[in-house]
Parts: sequence; C-alpha cells; structure tokens
Amino acid sequence: MQRKNHGLDPITVEVVRNKLDGIANEMQQTLLRSSFSPIVKEGLDASASLFTVDGETLAQACAIPVHLGTLIPVVAKIIEIYPVVQMKAGDAFIMNEPYLGGTHLPDIAVVAPIVTKDGRVVALSAAMSHHQDMGGMSPGSVPTNAVEIFQEGLRIPPLQFRKDGQYNETLVALIRQNVRIPDTVMGDLNAQLAACNVGARRVGELVDSLGHNLVGSIFANLLQRSEELTRSALRSIPEGTYSYIDYNDNDGIELDKRIKFEVAVTIKDGNFHVDFTGSSPQVRGPFNAVPSGALAAACFAIRAVTDPNIPTNAGCFRPISLELPRGSIVNPIEPAAVNARTATIKRMAGCILGALRPAVPERVPADSSGEMLAVMFGGLRPSGAPFVVGELIAGGSGAGINSDGVDVIETDVSNCMNLPAEAMEMEAPIRVHQIALWSGSGGPGKQRGGLGIVKEYEVLDGEIRFTHRGERHMCAAAGSNGGGPGAMAVSQIFRTNGQIEDIPSKAMAVLQKGDRVVITTAGGGGNGDPKLRDRRLADADLKDEKVLRSDVRA
Amino acid sequence: MNGRLEIGVDIGGTFTDVVARVPGKQIRFFKLPTTRSDPSQAVVAALKHMKSEWSLQPSDLTKFAHGTTIATNAVLERKGAALGIITTKGFRDILEIGRQSRRQMYDVVLEPQPPVFLAPRRLRQEVSERVSPSGEVLTKLDEAGLRDAIDKLVRDGAKSVAIVFLFSFANPSHEQQAKELIAAWYPDLSVSISSEVDPHFREYERTVATAFDAYVKPTVANYLKRLEDSLQEEAVDVPLQVMQSRGGLTASEVARMRPIRLFLSGPAGGVVGGRIAGASADVDNIITIDIGGTSADIALISKRKPLIRPEGVIGDYAVRVAMVDVNTIGSGGGSIARVEGGSLRVGPQSAGSEPGPACYGRGGSQATVCDASIVLGYLDPDYFAGGSFKLNPALAHSIVRTNIAEPLGISVEKAALGIHRVLNAQMAEGIRAVSVRQGIDQREFSLMPLGGAGGLHATALASELNMTKVVIPRIPGVLAAAGLLAAPIEHEVSAAFSSPLAQLSIEALKQSLQSLDDSASRLMHAERVNSNDVTVSYFADLCFIGQSYALEVSFDPNTPNLADRLYEDFLAAHDRIYGHAVRVPAKVVALRTVHQAAGSDTIPEMRLPLSDQPIEIGKRPIWFNGFDQTVETRVLNRAALPSGFSFSGPAILQQSDTTTLVEPGWDGVIDSASNVILSRG
Repeated sequence: MQRKNHGLDPITVEVVRNKLDGIANEMQQTLLRSSFSPIVKEGLDASASLFTVDGETLAQACAIPVHLGTLIPVVAKIIEIYPVVQMKAGDAFIMNEPYLGGTHLPDIAVVAPIVTKDGRVVALSAAMSHHQDMGGMSPGSVPTNAVEIFQEGLRIPPLQFRKDGQYNETLVALIRQNVRIPDTVMGDLNAQLAACNVGARRVGELVDSLGHNLVGSIFANLLQRSEELTRSALRSIPEGTYSYIDYNDNDGIELDKRIKFEVAVTIKDGNFHVDFTGSSPQVRGPFNAVPSGALAAACFAIRAVTDPNIPTNAGCFRPISLELPRGSIVNPIEPAAVNARTATIKRMAGCILGALRPAVPERVPADSSGEMLAVMFGGLRPSGAPFVVGELIAGGSGAGINSDGVDVIETDVSNCMNLPAEAMEMEAPIRVHQIALWSGSGGPGKQRGGLGIVKEYEVLDGEIRFTHRGERHMCAAAGSNGGGPGAMAVSQIFRTNGQIEDIPSKAMAVLQKGDRVVITTAGGGGNGDPKLRDRRLADADLKDEKVLRSDVRA
Repeated sequence: MNGRLEIGVDIGGTFTDVVARVPGKQIRFFKLPTTRSDPSQAVVAALKHMKSEWSLQPSDLTKFAHGTTIATNAVLERKGAALGIITTKGFRDILEIGRQSRRQMYDVVLEPQPPVFLAPRRLRQEVSERVSPSGEVLTKLDEAGLRDAIDKLVRDGAKSVAIVFLFSFANPSHEQQAKELIAAWYPDLSVSISSEVDPHFREYERTVATAFDAYVKPTVANYLKRLEDSLQEEAVDVPLQVMQSRGGLTASEVARMRPIRLFLSGPAGGVVGGRIAGASADVDNIITIDIGGTSADIALISKRKPLIRPEGVIGDYAVRVAMVDVNTIGSGGGSIARVEGGSLRVGPQSAGSEPGPACYGRGGSQATVCDASIVLGYLDPDYFAGGSFKLNPALAHSIVRTNIAEPLGISVEKAALGIHRVLNAQMAEGIRAVSVRQGIDQREFSLMPLGGAGGLHATALASELNMTKVVIPRIPGVLAAAGLLAAPIEHEVSAAFSSPLAQLSIEALKQSLQSLDDSASRLMHAERVNSNDVTVSYFADLCFIGQSYALEVSFDPNTPNLADRLYEDFLAAHDRIYGHAVRVPAKVVALRTVHQAAGSDTIPEMRLPLSDQPIEIGKRPIWFNGFDQTVETRVLNRAALPSGFSFSGPAILQQSDTTTLVEPGWDGVIDSASNVILSRG
C-alpha cells in the first residue's frame, strides 16, 4: 500500500526520527550521569523527553514510563501559563505541583524551549528527576502517614527557573531554604538543565540544517504515523469492553481497609478508553494518584499491547481517553496527600493489562507482584551525623503463556534499580544478613510465576526511624488460565526481647540496636494448570529450590 | 633473512590476519580463513606460510603477539566451563536478582536480565563468613562449610569456581584463604576470586565480573596453552603475547590467569592500529569506525591514547572490567532494509553472510545496505573483496525495487540512497553516543574508517557529524594485526581506597600505591622486560560525596598539595563529561597503577611499495546524495597513488580490502606515510 506523506521525503522523515531518538538518549545519559543523589544514580529515577510546541511527546529516552507519561500534563500546564511564542533562548521552567499536572512533590520537571537562531521556538526539552528531599514532615519527602499535601514538602507551581541563562535567584533561595539537602537538590536540578541544554543544542542544529517549516511538518508526520500504526494495532484487538478488579492493601492510615481498583477498558474503532468508575473513593493516606498517574498507566499499557516496533511518541497516545471519577483514588480532590502514588499507578497499569489479557493473551502475562516495596531507614550515626538510606525492592513478574515469570524484577510503569547491600552498609549502621530469592513464592502453573525476594536487616546502632511501604500483603497477584496466585508478601520486625511484630503492609516504626527486620516481596501469578508443567522444568525447580518439595506434595 | 622479525596474528570470527614486520625494512601480510573448531591452527598455518612464501625462520622471531576472540566466543556461544559460585551465607542469589531493572521499558512478557546462565541456583553455594565494610572480620571463614560447598559443586559437575564474599575489596583474606584451601583439595579446579578480579564495591557487579572470569578461564587456558605448545614445537623461542581489552599486551601465562581482560582482545588491536596509523598521519585525535557485515565498532583515540571505559558490554551483559571504549551498534553492510507503516527502517536485523545480501546470489530475499551500494555504483560487482567473489547487480536492483522503491513510491536509486542515509544517521548517533560518554567534541577529531565497508560511509558520516578530516590508512583491512606489533606491554592493578579528599592521608595513599606497584612489577617481571623501560602512571577514581559513580583522574603522587590538585582535576573532568561541576566535597574511592613498556608510536613500514599499474582504473556513473542524476566518477587505484598525489571528489578509491567513496566537496591527498587524507573546506 502506498502512503501519503504530504509531500515529505520518507527518507528524511526516518533520518530525523533516528536523530530524535539519539537526542533523547543523549539527554538521558547526561541527566543520569551528572546527577548527585543515590536515588537517581543507583535507582535511575529520572527521565528525559522531547516535546512539540503543542506539548505532544516527540521522542522519549528509554527511561521510567511513569515519568514519561506524567511529563505530558506538566508540559501542557507550563505552556498554558508561559505561551511558547513568548519563550526565549536561555529560558527554563520548573514545576512539581501534582494538582496542576505533576505527580508527587519529589518529582520536579524542568522544561526548556528549543529556539532557532531567529528566535523561533521549534520544540521543548524536558527532564524529570526524583529528588532525594523536597522538605515536608519527613526526610525523603514521602511520609507514609501524611494526610494532606502540605505535609509532603515544598509545592512549586509553574515558575520561571532561568531567564536569558540566569537563574531565578529568588526561587533558588526559596528551594534551598526548604529542603534538607540543598546542595544535592541543586546538583540534580543542574543535571536536569544540562540535559535540556543537550536537547536544545541538538534539535537546534537539526532545524538549522533543514529549516523550521520542514522540521515542523516532519514532527507532525512522525506523530501521525505512530498514531495510524497504533490505531491499526488496536483494530486487530477484538472490539469490546474488558474489565478487571484488583486491590492495594491499605492507605497506611486505615490499615484494615483495602483499596479497590475497578477498570473497564473499551477497545473500539481504534480507540482506547479507560474508565476507572467503581474504584475506591480517595483515601486519607498518601496513596491518591492525581490524573497524570492514570495517563502514565494508560500510556504504558497501550505501548505494551500494541506493536513494540512502533516509534514511541504522542501519536501512540492519541487513541487514549480517560474517565476518572472525581474524588476517587485515581482523581483525588486537593489537598489530599499523594506522595505514595507509585503503588497506585502500578496497580492501575496492572488492572488495564489484566483487563486486556483475554483479548491479547500472548502479550499480557498473569498478574505481576506489581509492587515496589519502599523501605527507608533514618537516624544518627554514632558520630552524630544524620543519615537517610532507602531502597525500592521489586517482586516477581507474572508467567506468560509461553514462559515462566521472572524473579525479582521491575515491571510496568517503574524501572528502578535496587541498592547493593554493600552500599547500604557503608551508608548506615545496618547489617544486611540475607538477600535471597523467596523459595516457593512464585504462583504455580504450567508456566510458573516469578519469585519474590527475602531480605534481612539488623540494626547495629539505635535508634533508627524505619518506614515500610509494601503492597500485596493482603491481596495476591492472580494467576491466569488456571495458574495459581503468587505468594503474598510478609514482613516482620524481630525485637531483641524475642517479640515479633507483623508489618501490616505499611508501617513506621522505631528500631533499636539488635532489632532485625525481615521483608519479603510477593511472587507473580502462574499461568495454566500446574499439572501440565513440563517434568524437566518441574525437576529443575526442585533442584534449584525455587519450588519447595513440601509445596509440591500439598 | 636475519635479525629481528615480529609477527602479529589477529584471529577473528571469519578471517585470521597475519602481519609480519622486519623493522626498518618491510611489512607483509596475508589473510586466511579461521578454523572455528581450533583457531590456534591458524597460528601454525601462519608460521608455515612465513617459511614457505617469505623464507623466514622461527629463529628470526623476536616478537609474537596475538589478538583473540576466544573469550568472547565462549560467552556468545555459551561454551564456557560448568561454573559454580560460592558466596557469603545469605547471598547466593545476588547473581540472579541482579539490579532488578529491565532493559526494554515497554516489555511485559519478560526474560531474566542478569547472566543467570553462568550458574543456575543449584550451582551456587554459601559459606559462613563475614567481613565488615571497614574490613574487620566479624565471622571467621567456616572451613568445614567451605569443604561441603565445594564438594557439592564438584559432585554436581562444576569445572570452575567463582568466589565472591561481601566486602572482600576491603579485606580479601577470606577469599584468599578459600582459594588456597580449594587449591589443596582440588588442585585441578579453576578458581577466580572477586578481590583479584574486580576489587571494588557493589556485590552484583563484582559477582558478574568474577563469574565471567571463572566461566571462560578453562577455555582460555586450554587454548593459550595449546598455542604455547605449538609455538614451542615450531621452535619459536619468544614468549607468546596476548592483547588485552585495554589495548596492552601481556605474556600468555599471565593472560591465562585473568581471562576477563581478554574480551576485547581483537577490537583493542584495531584501536591501537588506528592510533599508529593516525600518528603516521600526524593526527592525534581519531574516531575509528570499523564497519563489517552485521555491526559497526566505534572507538576513540584522544591525544594518541585509546580512551578506556571502566565497564564494558559482553553480549547483552554489562561487565565491570576496563576496556577500550568500543561502542558496537547493529548496523553494517548486511543490515536489512524494509518498509514498515510507510517508513523505511534499516536493521538491526542482518542478512549475515548466509544467505547474505541479495546480490551475493545465495538466495537472500531482503534488501541490504550492500545491495544499495551496488545500485548506487559504489561497489564494483566484479571487484568485491579484491575480485575473489562476484556480485550480481541485477538481483540487487530487483530487490531494492520490490522491497523498498515500490512500497514507498520512489525510484530505485532514491530508495538505495535512502537506505544509506538512514544507516548513516544511525551510525552517526552511535558515534555521538561514545563522544558524549567521553565528553569530547567529535568535530575536533578525524574519522578513520576500517573494515571492509568503512570507506563507503566515511565522508557521509564525517559531513553529518561536522568533522572536516578523514584518514584512510594504507592497510585498513589488517590494521588490528598491525596494532599488535605496536602495542605496549601493559599491567594494570587497582584496589579500593576510600577516603574523603579533605582527610586524604598522603602516606596511606603512597602505601597503597606501593603495594599496587609491587603487584604490577611482579607481572612485568614475567615479561622479560628491563625495569628501566617501564613507565608507570597513576590514576584515582573520585566522586562527589553522595554521588555513586566515579570519574578517573590521573595524578603524580609527588605533587605538592595533592588533595587540591586531585580536586581541581576532578572538577575539570566532571565539567568536561557532565557539563557542570559544583564545589562540594569529594572523595577518592579507588586507586590504580598502570605499568607500560615497549610500545611504539608508528610502524613506518606500513608504507607499502607503490604498484606500477595505472593510477586511474576507469570512470563509472555514481549516485550521490543530493544529486538528481548520476555523476561520472573517477575510479582510482589506491595501490598506485604516490605520496603527494592529490585529487578532488567525487572519486572512488579501490583497493583489494576496501572501497572508499569520496563524495563531492571532499579533497584528497596521499601523505608521506601512504595514508589518504580527505578534507573538506
């Protein structure tokens, strides 16, 4: 079939596309490598992206989907308040406000115009990093017990961060005054600016060589092409409305109340409509997700169920429409607390995928643990110096129709690295006694679910303030096609006096010298009847102690 | 023939290249097919060739240097040893858990991301022992437990063992003890310990490095031993030298102990070859691009030194071992072009050599870059690989027409130009990626194409990247083997050394360097090198306190106010690579010493005798990017171009091992060392 290209040379379009991908990745490299905080350097919790002047995603680095999705409403808000036509070279804008399009306060976006020599804005470069601290009631700015956003840290509405290459010193002074580690925060903001500068320079060169008219048409063409490909892939999915229900454990405040996620995904006519009607009302604790979260989840899901070869840009996202009941967990009313929204967005993504599993069984595995356990330890060293060390820990992924789930791996909208035991022990008076696969935790099935983790910490010097923010302690990752669920997570504190305390998914506790904490993350769901599992695979599981003999007899 | 004779043998996947040099007189080279089952046969064949064709005797040899892909192939083909891993109690799953992140962000049906194939869980055992972050022993090594663990691994078939204990970089005594005990119990078992392979923090990265080392060790040891033996049988009386990934040689018996340093043995020779060819053209800063059938290797040489990266990539896996910074991208002459959703896509799939591009006439049914080169007139179908292999232009035309031109509604020639443009855009991004990583501006560098296909893309890439100079060496096809003759003998030893700069003790630093120097000197001693010929350089890895990835800074330990000097140099490096630097406290995390001897800057003999054939082979019509019709283009015989000869593009330079396309706008001149220097106004 021959296609219309609006007179554009298809070769030049493809050359530009390759360049844009290269530029986004160059921005990402600059962002990661020049950042300061361990959460960016070890956890890779930062993302770079290019946008059109209309605020549509032009190219993305291979980074964190939750950031790449949430940058979309952030950029939209910034260009609403600071019209693109008035932007000048050397300008940059900043924002973290969730209720204006952001996600949670530690995630600050920096957006800069890409300006031609004759002063025309041709695109925008954007970078989002998770900052180690944004002030508020607890170190790290993700307090499990927050009940309103004012407790969570400094709220930055869309503001001009740099003008003519000069910092807005008033704003810088205000930020520095409000955060616990100002040098680190400014170091990471500098890294974000550096990444935007790379985008500005390289896209600028592209426009210089091709002319802004041609480049503008090419950008439009690239988006349109991805849109057509995505819609055509959606049309290959049987039309219909697919629904799914899953839960998160609790909001950290009302510990015995599960949070329900109910989704109906309608695939029709190349469109992708996601309706979260029926989900829980907003909660008191910080697990509410502003609408950027549902958008990030839907963006991830649409890329996952269509063709991965389609170049990722806003065109892929155009078929998406969202229905997010106001006052619900997926669209809270200000000033609800939102800092722990990752768990919510991950569950939303899991639900959208789970709904579509019957429609595209080869693309969607059984449910993954879909959790990112956040643990944080804070206190004083024997020398009196304060420390805060935290890590994000994954569980097992769900089994596909042809392959086992993967043990302890990041899934869906997040993609963070863990913290080495050696890094943790050098940072804090903590000894790590065990980092192991949790034997027997994968959901049984013809294809077995991935295993969760077991991790054991001992406090060497008290006291330590400990935060635990888990999921899947009360609601397992479901299997598919007759496969069993993954094991639910269990975490406990072992006190020196012999007392054992169960952690009800979320907890803040004070630990004393000699106390031990043992955490686990959940396993992924299995796929298919466990009795049909290949004998050799089953034997290998026993030899590797991934499945326990006692479980097989049971 | 008498006196000195030096031989470099580079064994690649397809061909073995041999370069022989009589210093001050001449250089000779030949290629022969690699015997995949036993690559070392090629070395013996090379010696035979040397005797029969060149009348050279083994007794004339003063140097025998070797580049090998044996370690890499063992990994790519999964043919390493059955491996067991022994860890600190509680940590046997570090290899399998990895860093928990995934490479493809939109993947939902996942594959394990770490190299679990090295040792499945049943072959990973734990023993009780524990060392604190500061190196203090908290729990003694449980010898009986170690015995149980090793017995079980051996019973389960392990032929090689990796030992990785927590914090062994701070105190290696338990790993050393375990190694000695195992050597006593199982003298034939191959053992690698993490404090020797990669004495740095982060247990997963250290585990991967140590496990890869142990995995390839028996394979590499057998291979090199066999090679040493066959050289002895051939009465060669010089030590076999092997190229290491950093671009330095070492004696074979040392290389066998630390095989993880051989992963880039082959490409490192190419980078050194690029350095000497550049030096002969008086060019200090070079980007080499070696374009083969399925991939392109990009490397940087800055101020005549190959740039090193602290962590490389083997197959799909990041491995923390220093190597020349070679960026491999999946674009080459065999890359397949196709139309998808109205777009032209090129690669990363490749037609390989079987069936190969359509023009090979072996049933290839996909359009490739090579087919496009035929359509555009860049390649002479009758003179491919020196005429050893005839290409079929009709097949090339027809496949580009049906697969690309017709679906896009453009002419065959436009389609072929398009394939080149897209490929060039990808390779240009690959070159930028290495440049950004190293913080250099590629415009200040010269481009040097290598490999069979490099010359076709050189001027286009240089234009794309705003580079103004291209250097085509005289023997681009065998430069890696020539590099072996010029590379220094090198030993690098490093150790963790943790200290905030503000509290840096010069005494402790010098003490640590002394112990590193002692180790390096012992290694150098085994090379029969006169210690007066050894140059020593020191490096420190620094980072801001709070940062967790370090940058390397070179230093002289006797500099007054060393901590200040280190700090300023670190800030400068940070600014160069990352674009900013703030004056906040920094710390040293590791020290490194590098001992080098006996390298050379140039191989003057690379200037080959001039052919007496005509300079111009003929003319042919060529399609260039930006032109609506063919341009009648001169085809020059590279072997016949004398020093000082100059010409203007468009032109094609033909030689037996490669073809160079000189686009309009580029001028060329042959320099005194027989390099072609192309430049643009």
